[in-house]
Amino acid sequence: MFAYVAKRLIAMPFLLLGVITVAFLLTHFTAADPLTSIIGERQMNNPQVVQAARERWGLDQSLPEQYAIYLGNLVTGDFGTSFRTRQPVAHDLLLRLPATLELVISAMLLGTFFGVTLGVLAARFRDGMIDNLARLFALVGASAPVFWSGLVVLFVFSVQLGWLPGPGRIDSRAVAPPFVTGFFTVDTLLAGDWAGFRSVLLHLILPASVLGWTVTGIVSRMVRASMLDVLSQEYILAARAKGASPVRVLLHHALRNAMLPTLTIIGFSFAYLITGAVLTEAIFAWPGIGSYAVAAARGLDHPAIIGVTIVGGAAFLISNLLTDLAYAFVDPRVKLGGRAGA
Amino acid sequence: MTTIARILASGSTALAVLAALGATPPAAAQEQPLVIARNLEINSLDPHRAFCDTCQIYLSSTYQGLVKLAADDRSVEPSLATEWTANEDQTQFTFKLAPDAVFSDGSPVEAKDVKWTFERLKNIQADPSFMMSGVTSIETPDPKTVIVNMEKPNSEFIGILAAPYTGIINSDVASENGAVAGADAATTDQAETWFLSNSAGSGPYVLDTYRADDELRFRANDKFWGKAPPIKEIVIDQSADAVSQAQMLQSGAADIAMQVDPDTAETINSPDITIETVPSYNFIYVVFSPGAAGNQVPLDREVRQALAYAIDYQGAIDFTVGGNGALQASPIPNGFPGTDDLPMPEENLEKAKELLAAKGLQDGFSVDATVAAMNVYGVDLAMLMQKIQQDLARINVTLNIQPVASAVWRQQITDPGIPFSARFYAPDYYGSAQYVQFFGMIPGSWWERNASQKGKVDLVNQKEVDLLQQALAASGDDVARLYREIALEMINDRIIVPVVSPNLVLAYRNTVEGVRYSACCNLPLAELSRK
Repeated sequence: MFAYVAKRLIAMPFLLLGVITVAFLLTHFTAADPLTSIIGERQMNNPQVVQAARERWGLDQSLPEQYAIYLGNLVTGDFGTSFRTRQPVAHDLLLRLPATLELVISAMLLGTFFGVTLGVLAARFRDGMIDNLARLFALVGASAPVFWSGLVVLFVFSVQLGWLPGPGRIDSRAVAPPFVTGFFTVDTLLAGDWAGFRSVLLHLILPASVLGWTVTGIVSRMVRASMLDVLSQEYILAARAKGASPVRVLLHHALRNAMLPTLTIIGFSFAYLITGAVLTEAIFAWPGIGSYAVAAARGLDHPAIIGVTIVGGAAFLISNLLTDLAYAFVDPRVKLGGRAGA
Repeated sequence: MTTIARILASGSTALAVLAALGATPPAAAQEQPLVIARNLEINSLDPHRAFCDTCQIYLSSTYQGLVKLAADDRSVEPSLATEWTANEDQTQFTFKLAPDAVFSDGSPVEAKDVKWTFERLKNIQADPSFMMSGVTSIETPDPKTVIVNMEKPNSEFIGILAAPYTGIINSDVASENGAVAGADAATTDQAETWFLSNSAGSGPYVLDTYRADDELRFRANDKFWGKAPPIKEIVIDQSADAVSQAQMLQSGAADIAMQVDPDTAETINSPDITIETVPSYNFIYVVFSPGAAGNQVPLDREVRQALAYAIDYQGAIDFTVGGNGALQASPIPNGFPGTDDLPMPEENLEKAKELLAAKGLQDGFSVDATVAAMNVYGVDLAMLMQKIQQDLARINVTLNIQPVASAVWRQQITDPGIPFSARFYAPDYYGSAQYVQFFGMIPGSWWERNASQKGKVDLVNQKEVDLLQQALAASGDDVARLYREIALEMINDRIIVPVVSPNLVLAYRNTVEGVRYSACCNLPLAELSRK
């Protein structure tokens, strides 16, 4: 197990190097000169200003030179300076990544909990009302665009009913907690700010629910299918014959085995949500990686685009590793790093 | 109780608890900071590099200029300067500074700060630097007197000084943090990052915190030497679109929503919210670039005239902003000097066809129309283009619309040029010269360079050059008369064709007072108060 994990960890930098190279090349072959987002519109025709900006931002170097300089800086943790925010990209990512992680983790927890619950219930009451309702819920969750569902839940629960706050991570009148982890839930607690903690929790509910709804839809369908497959196995019949209670059969014998394919979905969903929370972040004014990536792409902010790509790539690699580890945990038959059939 | 019933019951309990948690005591709400919902889109907080609408709000609240724009949006009144004079030919301006003016660190505002600020603004060569073009020297005979010498007459210089970008910076503090004012400032200045977390002005507010794409927070300046602002803390909260801003306003999360478009405003039906629609000086225009590489037929004046005649202007206003806008005659917006009684743009299909026929183009042709994919002042530029596409089809002209990212548009408009496009403009200060210098066909203006593609086609209008020179040296009624003549020339150029001046929606909770549109500063924060 440790050898397997070590091997995967050692491979990660090389895989990331590939991601960085592709991202670097792609960003440099866009249709516009990044200078258009660095210097003002009125100065684009001023050769002196253009040249000064090229030198300042290293754009006067050849592409291989820029690449070499970028990699050299990256080794020291320097992701470059954002053309748009004029802050170090590492600083921007450090501020935004916790926001996205907090949202995605909450969405994953909600989505997985409801997805598994609905999937189990749908399988248990197959073709009944619960199954049909679960199917409808999953269908809407998986297909409703976030820009629609987000606005609808905001309108209903925030504007009309007034039960939950609107966009943002914390009440706009409140001051953000001092940065410790970047997770507002944690930082407000560390600061002893209970009102802030309450505000943060309330602000998380709507965006996490909307984002998690997608996961709920996918997970519930996967759990249902797997559960139906498992429930038809002979060992389930044997368990029932031995006198195991229906709940024990369902949750202990069936669900555990049905979770294997679901784990893959959950693992991929996590990585996908980190980079795919763009619309949710936009609708809920959530200052995370997603909205940062969109603004970077629109503004031809090369350092920020590559920085986000590195984070996204790392998220996929790590979530894949964690998924594989979870396999081994859930199913003892899976031996990580062993030969096929061993 | 079944499992499902238990789940439903616990869900209801959870929602009830949430509802209780979400409630805010009304008394506490009165003491909370005032929140403005707005798409921040800040390019910088360095007063000399910043150039955006939110920047105007920020700079006019944290820095003070020598003069400021009065509430009538036309005249200037004292700010840091208590009095000023100009010599007869408008080439020398003398200012007396307020004796008690101090920066937010308590140090006095002195002539050296004014000199340093103006020199940095000029030498840093950023977007607002044009405001100091023509300044040859600045003298400081004593700590409270400043004399600015100009290369040429500039009757608008006092108006320019009401622009937020000319706010006076505490030179000692800024210099300590990497700011440079010398001739090499464009390459040696290192203060931009510092300005993202610090302000160094004498305005009613100071910068508390700025988090890009999240919030811009102001705190009242404890050492403000003028009348203290009623609201002690103001937050501009990031909210990307009109619908989200309206929701924030309705839910009480925001006190003011700044970019609600007329369509969205109609959906707000709350007795707690005031909606006002006021005319603005902003406008959307279409522009021809006869020098662009992609032109399939020469876009000479008659052809441009024909295309301009084919546009249904009122239809465009109805289509883009639901009728909540005004026609605009020339690139100088309605209400600015020289715009009284100008002929409004006219739709005339017969004339359009006649002009094209005279050029042998009655069977039509295609024009490439690249436009930035963005919504500005409630107008979606690509949708406006679609409307014009329909209009031009009536004279057999095919518009090939290509929406692109704004950065791509900026690249293409500079080189190789875009035959036909749409863009927007908002004033930097109250004065007509800025429009002539940007839109006029005078050598080196932004649009002369781009529309002609650096002289590939001769578009220079010498009359405009001469008239501008006269206007900048003039005073009294002559100023408006001369700008009117220039406006007529610009209309006749048919390079820039204004299509709509959208109205501005002011949406705010009834508890807020002092909300108004300002031509220079968008929303003067220091005038806001609570009932």
